[in-house]
Amino acid sequence: MSDIRKWFMKAQDKNAGAAKPADRNVGAAPPKKPVLSIPEKQTPSLAPCDQDNSARRKSSKYFASKTENDSNVKEEDTNAGKNTGNRLSKRKLQKSSDELEDDIKPLPATKVHKEEEDDDFVAPSKKRTPVKTPPSKKLKGASNAEGHGKTIDLGDDDDAEDKMDEDDKTLPSKATGRGRGRGRGRGRGGRGAGAAHGKTSGLDDDEEEDRMDEDAKTPSKAAGRGRGGAAGGRGRGGGGRGFMNFGERKDPPHKGEKEVPEGGPDCLTGLTFVISGTLDSLEREEATDLIKRYGGRVTGSISKKTSYLLADEDVGGVKSNKAKELGVPFLTEDGLFDMIRKSKPAKATVAKLQSNSSSEKQQKSPIKSSPVKVGRRDDNQVTMSKNIALKSNKENASINNQKANIVDRGSLQWTEKYRPKVPNDIVGNQSMVKQLHDWLKSWDEQFLHSVQKGKGKKQADGGAKKAVLLSGPPGIGKTTTAKVVSQMLGLLAIEVNASDSRGKADSKIEKGVGGSTSNSIKELISNATLNYSDNRSKRPKAVLIMDEVDGMSAGDRGGVADLIASIKISKIPIVCICNDRYSQKLKSLVNYCLLLNFRKPTKQQMGKRLMEIAKKEGLQAQENAMEELAERVHGDIRMALNHLQYMSLSQSSWVAFLPIAFIFVIDIDSTFRLFGFNGGRLRMDERIDLSMSDPDLVPLIIQENYINYRPNTVGKDDSGVKRMNFLAHAAESIADADIVNVQIRRYRQWQLSQAACLSSSIIPAALMHGNREILEAGERNFNRFGGWLGKYSTTNKNIRLLEDTHSHILASQQANLDREALRLDYLTLLLRQLTDPLKTMPKDEAVQKVVEFMDTYSLSQEDFDTIVELSKFKGHPNPMDGIQPAVKSALTKAYKQGSSSRVIRAADLINIPGMKKPLKKRVAAMLEPAEESLPEENGVASAEGDEEDSSDAENKDELAPSDMKPKLDLQSDKKKGIQVQLDLKSSGNVSNAKKAPAGRSRASASAGKAAGGSGAKRKR
Amino acid sequence: MLWVDKYRPKTLDKVTVHDQVAQNLRKLVAEQDCPHLLFYGPSGSGKKTLIMALIKQMFGAGAEKVKMENKTWKIDTGTRTLELELVMLSSAHHVEMNPSDAGFQDRYVVQEVIKEMAKNRPIDAKGKRAFKVLVLNEVDKLSREAQHSLRRTMEKYSASCRLILCCNSSSKVTEAVRSRCLNVRVNAPSEDQIVQVLEFIGKKENLLLPVGFAARIATQSNRNLRRAILFFETCKVQQYPFTSNQVAPPLDWEQYVCEIAADIMKEQSPKRLYAVRQKFYELLVNCIPPQSILKKLLAELLKKLDSDLKHEICHWAAHYEHKMRLGSKAIFHLEAFVAKFMSIYKEFLVSTFG
Repeated sequence: MSDIRKWFMKAQDKNAGAAKPADRNVGAAPPKKPVLSIPEKQTPSLAPCDQDNSARRKSSKYFASKTENDSNVKEEDTNAGKNTGNRLSKRKLQKSSDELEDDIKPLPATKVHKEEEDDDFVAPSKKRTPVKTPPSKKLKGASNAEGHGKTIDLGDDDDAEDKMDEDDKTLPSKATGRGRGRGRGRGRGGRGAGAAHGKTSGLDDDEEEDRMDEDAKTPSKAAGRGRGGAAGGRGRGGGGRGFMNFGERKDPPHKGEKEVPEGGPDCLTGLTFVISGTLDSLEREEATDLIKRYGGRVTGSISKKTSYLLADEDVGGVKSNKAKELGVPFLTEDGLFDMIRKSKPAKATVAKLQSNSSSEKQQKSPIKSSPVKVGRRDDNQVTMSKNIALKSNKENASINNQKANIVDRGSLQWTEKYRPKVPNDIVGNQSMVKQLHDWLKSWDEQFLHSVQKGKGKKQADGGAKKAVLLSGPPGIGKTTTAKVVSQMLGLLAIEVNASDSRGKADSKIEKGVGGSTSNSIKELISNATLNYSDNRSKRPKAVLIMDEVDGMSAGDRGGVADLIASIKISKIPIVCICNDRYSQKLKSLVNYCLLLNFRKPTKQQMGKRLMEIAKKEGLQAQENAMEELAERVHGDIRMALNHLQYMSLSQSSWVAFLPIAFIFVIDIDSTFRLFGFNGGRLRMDERIDLSMSDPDLVPLIIQENYINYRPNTVGKDDSGVKRMNFLAHAAESIADADIVNVQIRRYRQWQLSQAACLSSSIIPAALMHGNREILEAGERNFNRFGGWLGKYSTTNKNIRLLEDTHSHILASQQANLDREALRLDYLTLLLRQLTDPLKTMPKDEAVQKVVEFMDTYSLSQEDFDTIVELSKFKGHPNPMDGIQPAVKSALTKAYKQGSSSRVIRAADLINIPGMKKPLKKRVAAMLEPAEESLPEENGVASAEGDEEDSSDAENKDELAPSDMKPKLDLQSDKKKGIQVQLDLKSSGNVSNAKKAPAGRSRASASAGKAAGGSGAKRKR
Repeated sequence: MLWVDKYRPKTLDKVTVHDQVAQNLRKLVAEQDCPHLLFYGPSGSGKKTLIMALIKQMFGAGAEKVKMENKTWKIDTGTRTLELELVMLSSAHHVEMNPSDAGFQDRYVVQEVIKEMAKNRPIDAKGKRAFKVLVLNEVDKLSREAQHSLRRTMEKYSASCRLILCCNSSSKVTEAVRSRCLNVRVNAPSEDQIVQVLEFIGKKENLLLPVGFAARIATQSNRNLRRAILFFETCKVQQYPFTSNQVAPPLDWEQYVCEIAADIMKEQSPKRLYAVRQKFYELLVNCIPPQSILKKLLAELLKKLDSDLKHEICHWAAHYEHKMRLGSKAIFHLEAFVAKFMSIYKEFLVSTFG
């Protein structure tokens, strides 16, 4: 809870610091809402902690630094007994202030400051604002601090001492004062977020009173609350936006015709807009972007907070009615543009003033009073309450300190540099942090001294487990939490991660005798010297942090099982960290651990933190931008920081809202997000992730749907030329991707997969992203599933069928053509030959003719169907139209009649292994009715002749030259194929023919009907 | 039986259209030895007919004892075992196959199957010919790798085996292969020749041909003899006796492509592009080779196109046709071409007519 508040407060500070007082609120508001909600959740969990010392301390520490009031109150209850001395308290305070500074980033301008003075003057200034804080409170603050200081003492001595030296010199009262100031700030922040929360949080009465006092005394209170309300409103609005259905809205009538004005940064800050209906020239999304860019807020529905209803036509919907009811003024698009235009110079001057003030501040920073002055000035300039301005001063001051520190530290990676130093710095997951803290705290008692105390005090399950398992996505601070908490408790953290060997050694070493092959972990956990012992009281206890336990595998002998064994014998607490706690590997481990599941921080939480860091680093960034960044990294703070650092290199000074530009930006599920209106804003790696989520399917879906999108980058495009251009580009890119894909699949050039994904998905999506529209009436405005797969399989099926027909024709020996020629040239005529007689001639005659023809080319009925099927085109008449059903059935009958004697030709024998049965049947058919069938077939089969069997009647009918004398010889080859041979000349002189009479008989089957039959018989 | 097949010349002597080529081939055979041959020329010009006649000339009637088989070849590629099914037409003297049917595995066909067949010396008692003949169809569709493997095979086993390659375009056959062969260009028959053939058939079939009828069919066939004869017969089926202005009905797929072209010219919009895609799918599903679609489409578009744009459009058609060969999903390239065309044409229309 405290953490969130801190964030919140900082946001305000920052706002003030940015010297855009009133406006800033609006900017900050969206984050607020979540902030509000979270404290609510967390407070209950904290409340019980009050009794727990450890919890106290932690929170106290936090509060001491951030908001003294809270900490004071809390600490009082529980820590009272622990207060030690002023010195400690001071130290603690100092430290906290240092921490504060760490958290708050310096403004770019404030580089000159010196730490000590800062500290000094900040305190008074803050003190001033709270004005009449009762002395008792100060004392409380001090006492809290003391308590806290004590706890930290062990751990802090080393690191903190240098810093603290100066701090030590400051008077306790001062320290408290400063603390108070901060506390105040925080309190207000809390209020801003929603005053009620602070109170409901179940904190002690004192605390509440404190705040109340302050609030009562400061005019800002009301303002703070108001803001909170606004924040709530905006949060809702933000949610609402997601549900907008773009497909339904008409185009703006003058799309892209007007020039969008440029205004001063944040000129709309503090204003809340609701957009209704169709605007004149902007798409609604563009308008939203525009407003946000200038610091305004856009909400989904009208409320009292709404400044304007942006609408160009009074559509009379719910929104406009409500607006009229509430007296919200209407604003046209032009009005909005005017507002932005006008704002420019004015705001610029304000900005200047502010920057002046800040620079003055910098120059005068040595003088204690300067910040106060600045604060006043700010107050004058700005409509916002003083408090904020003051905060800004404070902020600046501390930032200056910070800056100095930073400079000292040199160029660290930001992720290291801004690694939280105290638990409260951790973004989000404060309840987890607290639980971990509690658990570690009570570990000793639970497991080492359990004899006396017995098990399970207050924490039901927390105490029962000897280890803890932190889980959550990467980059949200699990390791940091573990380290920081243990550090805070004065424990020596020993981190073992995947890069260390953590295997199982000889089982004999379980007792902890070291050796080169020993099990380092077992040693660690059982080595008494690492442990807390009486004679070496100064030595910190140890805690073992096992990072990346889900990565424990092959290399780590024993792996998880060994870890479990270690946990059982461990004398120090073990903190395990993993990303996926449901991983199979960890199944057994889970039973031995207290499970703490870390969640991603909200984008608002992260936004605050990022803002601070940006400030400290001298980057000017807007909160919107930061939240955007936070959103895009999916809660991964580490990644966000890396991005931030990277961006700081590329752009030394930023002007406000650049989220679109500063990260490569794309977004349905995956495809559909890529195409979505905001598709252009996704980061590149996100785009890749999206398109890689299924590298086969996503491109197909993209290909299927890209035509439907109207790119919003096109702008005004009456003729559609630009859109066609984009389409052509997208299509070209998709075609390129196909080529790349061939390289990948056929030649296994997998290194090209990125290129494939780029050209298959990302480029088309980047070109086309915008609103989806329907192309055919009645179509649903959703992305279609890729049609290619279906068509591909149909094509393949048809090719197979065609191939069957083709081989039948080849087997008939009538034609020697390739498949393509068959399809392109022959098919039309074949179809005609097959269907025309049926349409025009009398039934019997027609049927006979067609069957004859089919037999000539040894076409089966399936082939007939194939030919018809392949000749069907959508929009063309079905070739079978006009054929009477009676004729069709007669054809079928006639064909079947013939089939008893007909030898199905070679092509049917293609798949020999599976075809044994049919073969036998055919052979049988050959053997029996051959003689009878002869006459019948003679009439039919025109082609085959057999010279040697000149006696056969069929020769008469031959039209083919006499050299075509088919006799089929089927013979099983050595290589498992079966050959059907047309034996043209003498069956006698070919060795093949002599082999395998059975085979021959089969062969004859495949030859011509009658000819084959007779041939077979003869040979036998 | 269709006339195309009925009146196909079976021997080199009977060949009428390419009699010059036929004579040369006869001489070649007479010399008892013959190099590898590469027949190339547009479809419907008589390559296959020539090849079959040539083989018959070489081996006599024995070459007509053809069996058709569907063999499964097991090929060990080192890492895995492939099973390939291939349809082959073979006689004692020759084997005919279409290695490009194996798709992207065609190089295994060339490396293993063809090699194995080429290795085996025919046992010919009479010792008439010391080699056998391998007829490979559609060599231009072989992948580059397969063609590379082919050239080694051609040299190594030339003692026992002659290859007769057959393709439409020699430019898609690698030079290495081409240089190892005697290239035989089989021209598309001239329209006069086609008319002659048609008249010959008409005489045999006792048909009465109106004046100019054969010429019209010859024109319509685009110098494709096979198609001309098929058209001729289609006309016969459609209506006999022929009327003087009778025209053969267009091929179904060509008609469809014409419709697509008309669609494209009429309107250039995403909506139309989508409709065109559906039609392309229709064609592809019906087994129309995408290259033919593109070619026909271009021809149709060029008919109606302003001459300023013709060059550019041809360029893009070639561009996408090339890409289509490199890629595997033809529809993408067809669509890309149409999108490109629409984009160019629309721009042209807007700039010309506003």
